[in-house]
Amino acid sequence: MRGMRRISLQFCLRALGGTALVLSLGAGIWLYAQEASTPVFKSKVDLVVLSFTVTDNKGKYVNGLKPGDFKVYEDGIPEKLSTFSEGDRPAMQILEDGSMRPLLPTAPEAMRVAAKSSESNDAFVGTNVFILFDTSNFMYRGFVYAEDAIADFVRGLDKADSVAVYTFSRNLSRASTLTSDRSNAIVGLRKAVAGDDTALYNGLLLTLRDAAKVPGRKVVIVFSNGPDNASMVAPDDVRAVAEDEGIPIYVISTNDVNKDPISSSVFRRISQRTGGKAYWAKTWQKQVEAFESIREDLGNSYTVTYYPAPNPNEGFRRIDIQIVSDTGKHYRVRSRPGYRPRAF
Amino acid sequence: MRVRYPAALTFCAAAVLSAFADQTATLDHIQKLELAGDSAGAREAFQRALKTSPEDAELLGGYAALLERYRNPGAREEYRRAAVRWQATGQSQKAQAEARRAILLDLIDGDRDAARKDLAAYREYGGTGVTIPAPAAAAERPSEVVYIPGPMRSFARMAAISPDADPATVLPALARNVVTNGYQASRSNDELEETEYLKLVHRYVSQAWELDQLAGPDKVIKVPACESTQTNDLLRVLGYRMRGGCGSEVVLETVNASRAFLTTDSGFPLAELEQALRTDKPFSYDYHPTAVPVLYSAAYWVGAKEKNSFLDAFLGDPALCRFYLGMSKLDPETAAAMKQHTPALKLRSYASVLDFFGGNFEIRDGKAVIPGGERSAAMWGELVGVSPDKGADFFEKLLIRDDGWLASLYDALSRIQGPVQDYLTQPAHMKRFYEAVRGKITTPGPARPVFRSNADMMLLTTRLRLEPDGKPHIPGGLDVWKQVFIHNPHNRYDQKLSKAAPGWKDGDDVIEALFALCRKPVDNEPLKMFMALSDIDRNREKPLEPATVERLTSVWNTYSAQYTMFNDAPGVSDKTILAWLDAAENLDRIKDNLLRQDAIGEMQGLTGLWQIFCRQGSIPAANADQALASLVAPFATLKSNRELFDAGRSGLNLLATSAGAASGPMQDRMLNLIAGGAHLQPSDARSSLIEQEQRIFEAQKLLTPDLIFELADNLERVSKGEKLNAKLAARMAARVTDIQLPRNSMSGTEKNSMAFGFWVDKHIEEERKVNFRALIDKAGKDPEKLKDIRGLLAPSLRDTIVGYNYLHYAPPGAEILITNPLFVRGHDFIGMSGANHSWRNTELYGSGWPSNAGGRLVGSLAGLPYALAEAEQNFLVPTQTQALIWGDLVPQMLLTATAPRFWSVAPEQVHWVGMHMRNGESLLAEASVDEAARSKVFAAINRAASPYRASAVISDLKTGDVKQALDQLTPSELYSISISLAPTDDCPIAKEIDRYRKAAPSLVSDEAISRTWGTPKPTLANSYAPELLNLRTFPTLMGYSSRIMAESWESNQLYWADLADETGVRPEELNVLVPQWTEKVVERIFASHLEDWPALLKSLRSVGDDVRNSAGKPDSTERAGSEE
Repeated sequence: MRGMRRISLQFCLRALGGTALVLSLGAGIWLYAQEASTPVFKSKVDLVVLSFTVTDNKGKYVNGLKPGDFKVYEDGIPEKLSTFSEGDRPAMQILEDGSMRPLLPTAPEAMRVAAKSSESNDAFVGTNVFILFDTSNFMYRGFVYAEDAIADFVRGLDKADSVAVYTFSRNLSRASTLTSDRSNAIVGLRKAVAGDDTALYNGLLLTLRDAAKVPGRKVVIVFSNGPDNASMVAPDDVRAVAEDEGIPIYVISTNDVNKDPISSSVFRRISQRTGGKAYWAKTWQKQVEAFESIREDLGNSYTVTYYPAPNPNEGFRRIDIQIVSDTGKHYRVRSRPGYRPRAF
Repeated sequence: MRVRYPAALTFCAAAVLSAFADQTATLDHIQKLELAGDSAGAREAFQRALKTSPEDAELLGGYAALLERYRNPGAREEYRRAAVRWQATGQSQKAQAEARRAILLDLIDGDRDAARKDLAAYREYGGTGVTIPAPAAAAERPSEVVYIPGPMRSFARMAAISPDADPATVLPALARNVVTNGYQASRSNDELEETEYLKLVHRYVSQAWELDQLAGPDKVIKVPACESTQTNDLLRVLGYRMRGGCGSEVVLETVNASRAFLTTDSGFPLAELEQALRTDKPFSYDYHPTAVPVLYSAAYWVGAKEKNSFLDAFLGDPALCRFYLGMSKLDPETAAAMKQHTPALKLRSYASVLDFFGGNFEIRDGKAVIPGGERSAAMWGELVGVSPDKGADFFEKLLIRDDGWLASLYDALSRIQGPVQDYLTQPAHMKRFYEAVRGKITTPGPARPVFRSNADMMLLTTRLRLEPDGKPHIPGGLDVWKQVFIHNPHNRYDQKLSKAAPGWKDGDDVIEALFALCRKPVDNEPLKMFMALSDIDRNREKPLEPATVERLTSVWNTYSAQYTMFNDAPGVSDKTILAWLDAAENLDRIKDNLLRQDAIGEMQGLTGLWQIFCRQGSIPAANADQALASLVAPFATLKSNRELFDAGRSGLNLLATSAGAASGPMQDRMLNLIAGGAHLQPSDARSSLIEQEQRIFEAQKLLTPDLIFELADNLERVSKGEKLNAKLAARMAARVTDIQLPRNSMSGTEKNSMAFGFWVDKHIEEERKVNFRALIDKAGKDPEKLKDIRGLLAPSLRDTIVGYNYLHYAPPGAEILITNPLFVRGHDFIGMSGANHSWRNTELYGSGWPSNAGGRLVGSLAGLPYALAEAEQNFLVPTQTQALIWGDLVPQMLLTATAPRFWSVAPEQVHWVGMHMRNGESLLAEASVDEAARSKVFAAINRAASPYRASAVISDLKTGDVKQALDQLTPSELYSISISLAPTDDCPIAKEIDRYRKAAPSLVSDEAISRTWGTPKPTLANSYAPELLNLRTFPTLMGYSSRIMAESWESNQLYWADLADETGVRPEELNVLVPQWTEKVVERIFASHLEDWPALLKSLRSVGDDVRNSAGKPDSTERAGSEE
C-alpha cells in the first residue's frame, strides 16, 4: 500500500496568449489550466497525495475501483479529489463532472523526470523506489545474500519504476541515485562496502529527505536486521517525516521477529503508520518473498490527490478513506492515518 | 610619432606630464578600489586605462601585479608584456623584474617549459642570478617496489586506505592500520590475535593471488564468452555461480559466502561481469599487480630470504609494521644516518619510541639538531649520554634511554619556538623538568599504548606563558599553587609533591610539579587548572587576584567547564567572577529538582548568550563586566519560579539593550543578535541565517519571548482584577500540548530500555499540563497567588533562552534540530541520578535506539558547540564509499565553521591573507631559483613544518618543483612562512603588503588577523574566541584522540579567506558559505587513518577548486581581446 505526500504548489497564472499556468516549488502535478483567461494572481495551495491499497476479507487486492467509489475525509471534512491513478498506470485528472482526462505531459515536473529517464516521461507513472541497505557490522554475515536478494528485486521492478540504492552504516552512502536503469542500480549495489556502526534511523531520515524532493509516488524499502547503535534521531521522529511527506516505509528485517523485540516493534510501528509493511525474512528465500510481496503492493495501489478543504487544525490531521459501495464495507483500506501540515 | 618642433615639444612635455598625472591618478584610484575590497572594480579600471594606453609599461606591470595578487592565471602573460614594453623603452632593469615575476609564477603553476622561456627573456634583458634547477634525476627517487596483487582500489578498500593515496604512503598507512587495528588481546591467553580487519586483508590477498593466476602473464582477466571454462574458473574464485543458462536471464548468485564477500567488498566489477554474461559479450578486467614503493629495500625489513613475500611478512608482524611506520617519519638525511649507525634489529626494538617521537629527530651534517641549540647542547649530551655532535649515536641513545621519556620531552620541545622554548631548554630547567617527568621508575613509558600518552606534557610546553622577565606566569601567585598541592583533594596528586609544596620558592617549582604530574596516567587536574587559569589571565589587562584564583581552584571540580566564559570576555572583573560563582552555588542549593534545573538552564542560557554577544562584539568590551554582573545578580538569591521568570525576562532585556538592540519585538532582536549583531545590513547572508534560525525555532516548537511576556503581563493584570486573555493562553497551550513525549507510542520493551532523563520528562510534562484558567480559578482573589502563576511560564522561557544558544551553534544541515522537536526541551541539566552534570561539559548522551531516547544533550551548555556538531556529524554523507570520518576531528571542524562570524571582517583583512599566501608562494619560488634567497626561506620552512616534510619541501625547491613543494604545505604553514620573513624590496606583493600595513594597521595587526581568521580552541586554549596560534599540527593524543589535532589545524579559515579573496566573495557572505564549504570538505575527506591530515588538505583544496570553477576566474584576456 502506498502512502501519501503533501506538496506545496504555487500557481502563478498569467494571461499570456491565452494559456499559461506556471507551477513552482519542488514537486507537483501539472494540471490543465481551467482558468486560463483569468487575470494574474498568485496563491499557495497544499496538494495532498494519498496512496492506499484495498483488500477484501480474504486479503486479496481489490482492483478496478473508480474515483467515485471512494470518499476521503480529513478530520471528518470531505475532500474533493483532483487526480486518480491505479497501480503503475498514468494519473488522470478528475474533472468537475467526475469524468477523467490524462494529465498534461509537458508539465515541468513531468519533463524533469523525463530528462532523468528515457523510459519514464511522466512524473506520476510508476513508483520511485528508494532501497536502504544496511551494510553495518550487524549485517556482516548475510551481506552477500542480501545483495543478491536486492539485485533480484531491482531486476524485477516494473518498467515504469525508478530505483535508488542507498547503503548505510554509521553514515549514509548514495550508492546509486534514482535511476530507471536497473544495471546502474545494481552496479551501485555491488559497490557497497560492509562494516561500521549502525545508524539506521539517521540513514532512513536522510533517505526520506531525498525521496521528499522527488515528484510522484515513492516508497522507501529498508533492508536491515534491526539493531541501531549510532542514530541520533528516534524512529518515531523519522516516522513522522515519512507520514508528513506521504512516503510509505517497507521494512525487511533479516532477523527473527522475537529475537530483537525492540527493533521488531519499531519496524512494525513505522511501517504501519506510514502505510507500508514489515517482513521478517531471515533466509534468502524469505527475503525474495518479501520483495515479491512489496512489488505486488506497489502494483495494486491507488493514488489520489486533493487540495485540502479549509481546516483550522494545524496539528495532526486524521485521514479517513471510505469505500462508498455496499460491498466496499467488507473491504479493508490500508493507508497512513494522517499528516501534519508543513509549518515552514 | 616623434615630434621635432619646440612648440610640439612643449605640447608633448605637457602631454607627458598630463599623462603622468593621469596615470598616477589612475593608479591611486585603483589602489583605493582594491583597498575597499573592490578587486573587480580595480581590474576593470586597469582594463579601461590599458585600452587608452595599451603600451604603458607601468600600467601593464601594475595590472600584472594586481592579477597576481588574486591568483589570476593571466598575470604571467601581463608580466611578459610589461617586460617587453620596459625593454622597448630602454629600462632593462624593470624589464628584468617583470620577467622574473613571470618565471616565479611559471614555477608556482608547475609550468617548467614556460619558466625556461621566460628565463631566456630575462637573460636577454640582462638579468642574472636566476637559474631553474634541473628536475630530480630518476636515480634519486626510490627505486625498489613491492607488488600487491590486483588493482590498488581493491586492496585499498580492504585495507582501509584511501584509494587515491600517494603510492609512497601506502605502506606507511598499511603499517599504521595493522598496528592500530590489526591485533587484539586474545580472550584465552596473553597472545595477540588478529582482528577481523586483518583476517579479511589476508583472505583478500590470498584471493587476489588466485585471480592474479587466472589473469595469466598479460595480467588481464578474460572471459571470452558466457559458456567457457574461464567463466567457471573465475566464478569459482569469486564465490558466485550462474542462475539460469547463458543468455539474458542469467543472474549471478552467491555460492560461497566467504569468497563472495571478498569479491563484493573489494569492489570487483561483478555487475559488469554479470552484464557481459547476460549479453554473451567478452569480459576483460585489468588485473595488473600494484607496485608500491618500499623504503630502502624489501630486504632491509624482512631479510633477503623473505623479500619476495614482503606483503605477507609485513601483514603478519605488527612489530615490523611499527618499525616501518617509525622510519617512514624520519627525513631522508636523518634516516640514512641512523640506518648506517644502528642495526635494524636494534632500531626495531625501540620502534614504538621511534614511531611516536622520531618525527622530530633531525640530523644535519652528522649532528643532531636539538631544541635550545648551542646553549642546551651540553645538557642534552648529559641527559642522553652522548653529545649531539654525534647525531646518529645521540638519537640511538635517546631512543633506548628511558622507555621514551626523554624522547618525548625532545619531541615536545621541538614543536615550540621562542621564549617558552628558551625557558624550557635552559640547561638547569631542562634537567629538573626531565627528571620530574621521568620519575624513578620509567616503566611504562609514554610510547607504550597505541596513542601517545604524553599529551599533558605537550599541552604544558605549548601553552605555558612567560612574564616579560622570562619567568613562568603563575596564575594567582605561588602561594595559591602551594595550597592546591598541599590540600591535594582526595589524594589525587602525588603525595611527594604535597610534601614538597610548602618549601617551594618560585614558579619553577610549580612548573616542575606540573611536569611530574604529566607522567601520571590519571586525569591531571592541577595542569588543567593551571592551563585554564593561565588562559584566562592571558588576555586580561590585570591578572586574576590570588583570592579569585583560590576560589576558582577550590570549586574546580564543579564549575571548571564554565571558565571559558571568563576567557572569552577578558574585561570581566574579579568581583563579577566571584558573583557568578556565588550565584551558581545558590542555584545548587535549591532542593526542588525541577526549579533547580530550570534555574541552572536559564542562567547558563543567558550567560551563554552574553558570551556569544561579547565574542562577536555586540556587547562592547567596556560593558561586558557590568552586563554579566547584572545578569547573574538575580540568580544569587533566587528561590522561586516567579523570581526565575523575572530573572529570565530582565536578563533577555538586559542582553538586548547591552548589545544595542533596544527596541522591537524581542524575538526579532534576539534572532538578529544571534545571527551576528543588532544592526546588520540587510543582505542575503543575513536573511539566510535568520531564516535558518526561524526554521529551527519552529521545529523545536519554542515560544517566542514576546508571547510569553504578553501572557505574563496579562497574568499580572489578572491579579489586579482584569480577565485572563483566553486567546493568548490558548495559543500558548496549543503550541505546548502539540509536543509529544517520546514514550507515547512505544512498546513496553522500548519504554523499559530507553533512557530519557526523568527530570527532562517531568520538565516537559509540567509545561504540557499548565492550565491557566484552572490555576486562576484556584488562586481565587489572592493577588500574590495570582502573581505566582506567571512563574509557571519560567520553564518555557528557559527553553526559549536555551534554544537561542542552540540556534547560534546549529551545525550545517541541523538535521537533529529540524527533526527532533524535543531536542532543546530535552536538554538534561541534571543528568543521571547520583551524578550532578549541571555544570559539566555538554555530553552527547549515548547513541542508538532506544538508549539515546532520540538523542539529547546532558550537562551544561559549556560544550554546546562541540556537542551539537558531534551529534550532527553522522548525518554527513561521504561522497566516497568507506571514507573515514573522524569522530573527533569533524565536530571541531564544524564548530570552527559555525562559531566564528564574519560580519565585521573588513575587505583589507580578506586580502591580507590572500596577499600573504601569494607572498609565501613567491618566496618559495624565489628560493628555488635564487640560491642567495634560500637560507632564510628554508629556515622558515623548517620552523613551520616537521623535519620530514620540511626536508621534502626543500628537496622539491632544489629541483625546481615549486608547485609540488607548495602542495605539501598547509595554508597555515604558508601563511606563517610569509609572516615570519621580512618583505623583500623587489617583490610587488611584499610592497603591497607593506602598503596595507601602513594604510590599515589596526585591521591587519597580528592580533586582528588572529581574531578574524583564527579558530576556536576550547580544549587547547580554553576559549571559543577565534585565535591563530601558528602551531604545528598535533598528532592524536591519548585522552584527546584527534580533538587537539583538530584544534591545532588552523588552515581552514585561512584557506577560506584566501579563496574569498581570489573569487571576490564578500566577507558577510562567508557567514553562509563557510559552513557550506566545510560540510563539503568533511564529506569529501577520504582518509586512511586518524592522523591523515593530508587527506583533509586534499579535500579542502578540492572544494576550493569547485568554488573557483563555479565562480569563474576573471579572465585577463578580456583586455587582450579589447586590444585586438
